[in-house]
Amino acid sequence: MSTVSRRQFLMAAGAALGTAALGGVTGCATSMKGDFAPKTGKRVVVIGGGWGGATAAKYARLADPSTEVILLEPQKQFISCPMSNLVLSGVRTLESLTMSYDGLRGHGVKIFHEEASAIDAASRRVRVGEGYLEYDRLILSPGIDFQWDQIEGLPQAKDAVLHAWKAGPQTVALALQIQSMADGGVFVLTIPPAAYRCPPGPYERICQVAWYLKNKKPKSKIIVLDANPNIVSKTALFRAAWQAYPNIDYRASSKVTKVDVGARTVTTELGDTVKYDVLNLIPPQRAANIAVQADLVGADKRWCEVDHVTYESVKAKNIHIIGDSTIGIPVPKSGTVANAMGKIAANAVVSLVNGRAVTPMPPINTCYSWVNDREAMAVINSYRIDKNKVLQIEQKLTPGQSVAFGQNALSWAQSIWADVLA
Amino acid sequence: MRVTCRWLVGFLGLAVAGLLPGHAAAGPLDPPGYQKAFSCSACHGFAGNSKTDTTPILAGMAPWYFKKAIADYASGKRPAAEMEPFAKMVDVLSVDDVASYFAAQPRQPSAITLDPAAVQRGRAASTQCVVCHGPNGKGDASKNIPDITGQPPGYLQAQMLKFKADTRSPGDPVLKAVKTLMATIPDPSLADLAAYYSSLR
Repeated sequence: MSTVSRRQFLMAAGAALGTAALGGVTGCATSMKGDFAPKTGKRVVVIGGGWGGATAAKYARLADPSTEVILLEPQKQFISCPMSNLVLSGVRTLESLTMSYDGLRGHGVKIFHEEASAIDAASRRVRVGEGYLEYDRLILSPGIDFQWDQIEGLPQAKDAVLHAWKAGPQTVALALQIQSMADGGVFVLTIPPAAYRCPPGPYERICQVAWYLKNKKPKSKIIVLDANPNIVSKTALFRAAWQAYPNIDYRASSKVTKVDVGARTVTTELGDTVKYDVLNLIPPQRAANIAVQADLVGADKRWCEVDHVTYESVKAKNIHIIGDSTIGIPVPKSGTVANAMGKIAANAVVSLVNGRAVTPMPPINTCYSWVNDREAMAVINSYRIDKNKVLQIEQKLTPGQSVAFGQNALSWAQSIWADVLA
Repeated sequence: MRVTCRWLVGFLGLAVAGLLPGHAAAGPLDPPGYQKAFSCSACHGFAGNSKTDTTPILAGMAPWYFKKAIADYASGKRPAAEMEPFAKMVDVLSVDDVASYFAAQPRQPSAITLDPAAVQRGRAASTQCVVCHGPNGKGDASKNIPDITGQPPGYLQAQMLKFKADTRSPGDPVLKAVKTLMATIPDPSLADLAAYYSSLR
């Protein structure tokens, strides 16, 4: 079993504290010393209040009200990544995608809006500020972080180049840049090599930006530099949708390796240099830092392999990993999958905490993509478990795009937001 | 951060909060249907109580109707890309367990806002519907006629349009009468009927 050493654990905690102090966040982090919430009974700690972690916290409480559930999530409010491409086209506001965590509190989930800075698997502790929390089982739903160093010039540029791949301030900033761009301007979107969060997301974003530009800035165009050899998801459906947008210049197998913010250019590994007026560079991705620091990632140092039934890490006992940071289960990195994993892992963890057998349960996937302001399309995947491995039963695409699928997409969002949070 | 700190102090003294009464039945020790059905809640709401306009409520649904729907979706007879893979999954997991689970859940009728005028028009237009679905819309299981009360209006309307166009389970003999009737009703009246049956309890 591979875990961080105590020295690494303390160093990571110190680094996190330093960051917090620089950011002016001192009060609570420094007051969190020692075992700041002593464990008195069965306890599950959840790291990350996104689609996977929030669902897991809620469903663990539903499964067993006698188990204490603590959620660690620095953000005070939940912001939905799904639907956030509609903010770029002005169809929705970020406020309409921003939700409270109060519903989880109603289920008895205890929430600390603090960042977990390290995990010590051997002592079953999570480091928070100067203190720590003990757990019986940990559910880790950390999401993704970016591999800034994969692109020359990006580590220095960082916030000057927007990814808008975690819904939040960057989403609004990118929408403003698009709105401020002169008619005739060039919007460049770069897509990282798979695997990355939300496989159809970049292509839905192309639709939304193209739709906006077609209506508001008809002389503008969008150049897409895709590191992948073809559209990664819903390929034929996106090709069909793009027939409505002659302003899209899609270039496959065009992996961006360099950005020059001064010259406003990006360069591909083939040496093509493209000038932009507005740039949206989606960097290559891996599991979030805490998973990498805790050595829960595989040999590729990117993603976490887990058991297909319990979601327990193959590298560390009592740590169950869900959502976009996982690899190996044949599912996309989607919100619906994270939600399904949250339920399954919650029930598995509660069963294990209570010394009971785990019932194997497969995940599901439903993923809508918006092609304009009213029409959507979807991909659906169902799964079964055979010999303790998740296998796909079927993948199906909607026969095309339609307003009716758009209405279903809205229903899906309303329903699953409630399933995650209410 | 001060708020969080103060809250933290309070938190240490808090007792474990109880669950909402409606959730008391859920848990790993409950009948197998709970875990086999919990993936469905992403779209159909917790315990099958959909809150949206287009997704049907499964809570309290008669098992015979649930199982027919799953069979028709799985075979492709009732074409729906968004349901076909999941119907096959329900068959793998055990359609009996999932059907029993949803049948046992207390139904919360749709809370989608309805236009009272549309409800009144729908009531007036429902004279032929009551022949099969009964005066209260509760149907008759012995004749394969489902309870359609309290379902979301968008869902009811979409199904009526599919019957009218014969795109839901084409050729199904038990649907012949409803399709013949739907073909005679103008689309705006279908919206009124949807509002009326959604309003029934």
